[in-house]
Amino acid sequence: MMKKKIFAIIPGYNEGKHVGEVIANVKKYVDNIIVVDDGSKDDTSLAAEKEKVFVLKHIINMGKGAAMKTGCDFALSKAADVIIAIDADGQHEPAEIPNFVSALEGADIVFGYRKLSGKMPFVLRFGNWFISKSARLLYGVDLHDTQCGYRAFTSLAYKKIRWRALDYSMESEMIANTGKHKLRYKEIPIQTIYSDKYKGTTVIDGVKIVFNMFLWKIKGKKGALKCF
Amino acid sequence: MFLGIQVLGLLFGLLMLYITFLNYKRKEFTIKEYLFWVIAWIIFMFVASVPSALDFLVMDLLNLSRTMDFFIIVGFMFLIAAVFYTYTIVRRMQQKVEKMVREMAIERAKK
Repeated sequence: MMKKKIFAIIPGYNEGKHVGEVIANVKKYVDNIIVVDDGSKDDTSLAAEKEKVFVLKHIINMGKGAAMKTGCDFALSKAADVIIAIDADGQHEPAEIPNFVSALEGADIVFGYRKLSGKMPFVLRFGNWFISKSARLLYGVDLHDTQCGYRAFTSLAYKKIRWRALDYSMESEMIANTGKHKLRYKEIPIQTIYSDKYKGTTVIDGVKIVFNMFLWKIKGKKGALKCF
Repeated sequence: MFLGIQVLGLLFGLLMLYITFLNYKRKEFTIKEYLFWVIAWIIFMFVASVPSALDFLVMDLLNLSRTMDFFIIVGFMFLIAAVFYTYTIVRRMQQKVEKMVREMAIERAKK
């Protein structure tokens, strides 16, 4: 049986401090790493280039959704079989990548979920609960954590879940497309380190995400577009 | 007799004519755009000076009692159309920028 080509996509914005260490840790578990510097004002891309991995640079900040899409499209052009999405700020534990890869046996997409604990800020916990309920109601996808960015999917699944959102609502659009295309999904628990409480999905993002989920439901299956 | 609001309307029309002229001189408007806006501001100033010229349209055709009501309704319609038009332009630009930024990033990939 042919070995699957595993690619990790690390989108980052002003993550010069953490990205080098994240790459060094991720390297042990994947065949290739693609860092997408989303128009950072610091040395994110320089730090990534030192690690001899693929570095794609957005000339302006477009949002996590756009950066992830750039990375995934590039991975597809390099014949990736499995794509791992992992954050550049070091909040995801790279040692868990093999768990994602093995969970992908018998699934098209694997979602990581952060175990509820006092460490997760209350606003995030409430927002996550609200978005999770909306996702279940609208798309029949039952997840503990809709906003966790640590995910893995096959390249075939990516073609179906490819999102249009440029910002953090890409996480939810991915779930919506999973439901629409009836893809097989699994969830695995992950450890999370909260390094910066001002980053990630805000309350405004949460409201926007639920509003978008209703819109995607109305629009039907137009969400997944062709790759260029 | 000219009312204060009519004088204000006339002054506003003149100011907009001047701004339109400046835009044309800076080559930000083509001759067609320039003529369109000059005619629009002249009509505006005419209506501001002689509001009764619209009585036929406002009272007989649209059954409105005051010319001011007509301006308010037309103003709101214009604003809604302008917001919608701006939204479509911004959305289109955003899609173009996104495509360009992402394609450039992929073309210039480094390892």
